[in-house]
Amino acid sequence: MASTLSGITSGRKIDCKDLHSYLRTLSASILDKLYNHPATCLAVFRELPELAKHYVLRLLFIEQPISQSVVSLWVDNKCHSEHQEVVHVLTDIRVWQEQPLPGGMQGWILSPTFRQNLKIALLGGGHSWTGRSHLPPDKYAKDIAFLDKYAMERWECILHFMVGSTEGTAGVSRDIIQVLLNAGLMKESSSDPLPTISPTGFQFLLMDTALQVWFFMLQYLEMAESKGLNLVDCLSFLFQLSFSTLGKDYSADGMNETQLKFLQHLREFGLVYQRKRKVMRYYPTRLAINLASGISSVNSTPHAHGCIIVETNYRVYAYTESPLLIALIALFCEMLYRFPNMAVANLSRESVRDALARGITAEQIINFLRTHAHPETYKVGQVIPTTIMDQIRLWELERDRFKFTEGVLYSQFLSQSDFELLRDYAQDLGVLVWDNPSKRVMVVSRAGHDDVKKFWKRQKAGNT
Amino acid sequence: MSDRKKASLLVVVIDTNPVWWGQRLVDQPDKSLTQFLDSIMVFTNSHLMMNHRNKLAVIAAHTNQSCFLYPRAESREAAGGGEPGGAAGAHDGKYELFAQVNEQVMEEVKNLILTSLEGHSETDSLLAGALAMSLCYIHRCEKESFTGEDLSSRILIIKGSEDNPAQYMNFMNAVFTAQKQNVTIDACILDNDSGLLQQACDITGGVYLKIPQPSGLLQYLLWVFLPDPTLRLKLTLPPKAQVDYRAACFCHRNLIDIGYVCSVCLSIFCSFSPICSTCQTTFKFMGLPKIAKKKQKKLNP
Repeated sequence: MASTLSGITSGRKIDCKDLHSYLRTLSASILDKLYNHPATCLAVFRELPELAKHYVLRLLFIEQPISQSVVSLWVDNKCHSEHQEVVHVLTDIRVWQEQPLPGGMQGWILSPTFRQNLKIALLGGGHSWTGRSHLPPDKYAKDIAFLDKYAMERWECILHFMVGSTEGTAGVSRDIIQVLLNAGLMKESSSDPLPTISPTGFQFLLMDTALQVWFFMLQYLEMAESKGLNLVDCLSFLFQLSFSTLGKDYSADGMNETQLKFLQHLREFGLVYQRKRKVMRYYPTRLAINLASGISSVNSTPHAHGCIIVETNYRVYAYTESPLLIALIALFCEMLYRFPNMAVANLSRESVRDALARGITAEQIINFLRTHAHPETYKVGQVIPTTIMDQIRLWELERDRFKFTEGVLYSQFLSQSDFELLRDYAQDLGVLVWDNPSKRVMVVSRAGHDDVKKFWKRQKAGNT
Repeated sequence: MSDRKKASLLVVVIDTNPVWWGQRLVDQPDKSLTQFLDSIMVFTNSHLMMNHRNKLAVIAAHTNQSCFLYPRAESREAAGGGEPGGAAGAHDGKYELFAQVNEQVMEEVKNLILTSLEGHSETDSLLAGALAMSLCYIHRCEKESFTGEDLSSRILIIKGSEDNPAQYMNFMNAVFTAQKQNVTIDACILDNDSGLLQQACDITGGVYLKIPQPSGLLQYLLWVFLPDPTLRLKLTLPPKAQVDYRAACFCHRNLIDIGYVCSVCLSIFCSFSPICSTCQTTFKFMGLPKIAKKKQKKLNP
């Protein structure tokens, strides 16, 4: 008489860590090793909260521990909670450590490696970041426009592969697919030789490019460790890249085995340009350099080449030729027309609901439209019309009208008293989900099913 | 964890008055311009380090001219520096951008000093000019920055030489412009207290600080002048100094406590003159005010 109702799990939101929460997942010994490179220290410093930066700079040139009470006097009394938070952050990622002062008080002192390397980044000294210092001029020197084009081509290759379009996806290697699979952005299906995109993958597609690269690199690094690449080497090289100058070539001489291997992977993703595998010279591209901005936070900076205009009548105009961008818009819009330099689409309830069903959230759609907005829309003051934003959010809320609970249905009671007995029992236990006395059916939550069943068996045994 | 960070533009105006620096070198041979420049460059590097969108400009206020030390003017960039610190950046572990900035500042200071060797020098610097230049630069950056991105700007003046009341008018005009543009002016004073800068900082909400120990310049810069105005609210900073609100008269450029003010154009004079030199208004001289006499008449009977 009991039958099971299956529950539906709602779509999981993509979890993209910022640098700080990523560092927190690393062990203390790795952190200490990481701080051995000026570039890492620089990157970590930039991601600290404002107040923490202030503390670090004030302590930077003081070689002895400073009493904790003195440090807490640096801020106004009103901001005490913020001070506590900052203290916590700095201790967490081991930028400073506690050290007892001679008088028995506790003091703070900057981690010696962190201090030293931050000083090197700031003042100079130490070794050059890139092996050999001097490179003869490159015969095949590349300009910035070329590098940008190259980087975007490589990166869009990956995105194309994800959406399953055939354009230039031949360049996607086994390694990239592995990362995508590992990150849960794509999943392998038995019917198709190539993996297909997952709900998380759709969310990934709608993210900002810088954020995409950062998320991708995090996933890659997670895998790199298991592949025997040295995490510390990779991370410091990555940070070093993000602080290099666009359009300048760097020498790959003096890099160790891990880093060379890593460089080849980065070349595949489009983060660096290398003319040939053997040439010991590479150009970092904008993707690598923008990493520093990608890690900073969720709020995205507006695109320089935005091309989307949204009108209050739900029309979306995209002045672009990129098939990828059009494919992305088609994720949540109905495409209407396609012209040589623009595409017109319509936001409708069905199209947005389709997207929501794929696991994309309303916020992501709005964010995508905002980051790709046409520069002209900024002049009007309102990037996306408020009605459109509200409507998209309402369409999302619409889907939340149902609440799913797993449960067991009890039906076909022989008498009303049996039904009431069991229902009251379930109600007392707090496991009754729903009941209908006239039809003599009730639903008990999955957790309470065993108890209720036992009770009913005992009851029946007692009756007969 | 990261709250919305605004890009911030810092314009540092350095007083490079040769007379003052020369005298200083005689008094304290161990504290030369070079050492101060080193401290200032660490400070500018720290500013750039705070956020990757932060911008920087350095202007020298010299005795007979003001010029940009960083960024280099575009016309000179093409002519002079073909390789902007290109190879030099890779010498050691310093971040390339910092190395490039420092090198350029050094080079420009050298140029400035070499070109200004001849001719006679005044004891004051062209601060008003430098201030106006920085305001123009700030205005340009704000116009050029991408729409939708906010840029908060401030000016830091590092000054040693004496005030020149002759610049009073121009200087105050620049200060009021800064106030209108929401630009904070900070002043870091190495030697002579400056009434003009005290007023400037007070009007724009900046910090005025006379450094008690010039050898600790860097620590003061990092402590007081590096945090931007929003962060300063949360910090305990040195108390505000008493502001000297004396104005300079328009006739002799002297700082005066009490003076004569033209009732039409509000010009200030240290001595009475029947015709206002600014707006040409003639004041009729009435003799003693009559009101006082009338009152006396009413009281007497």
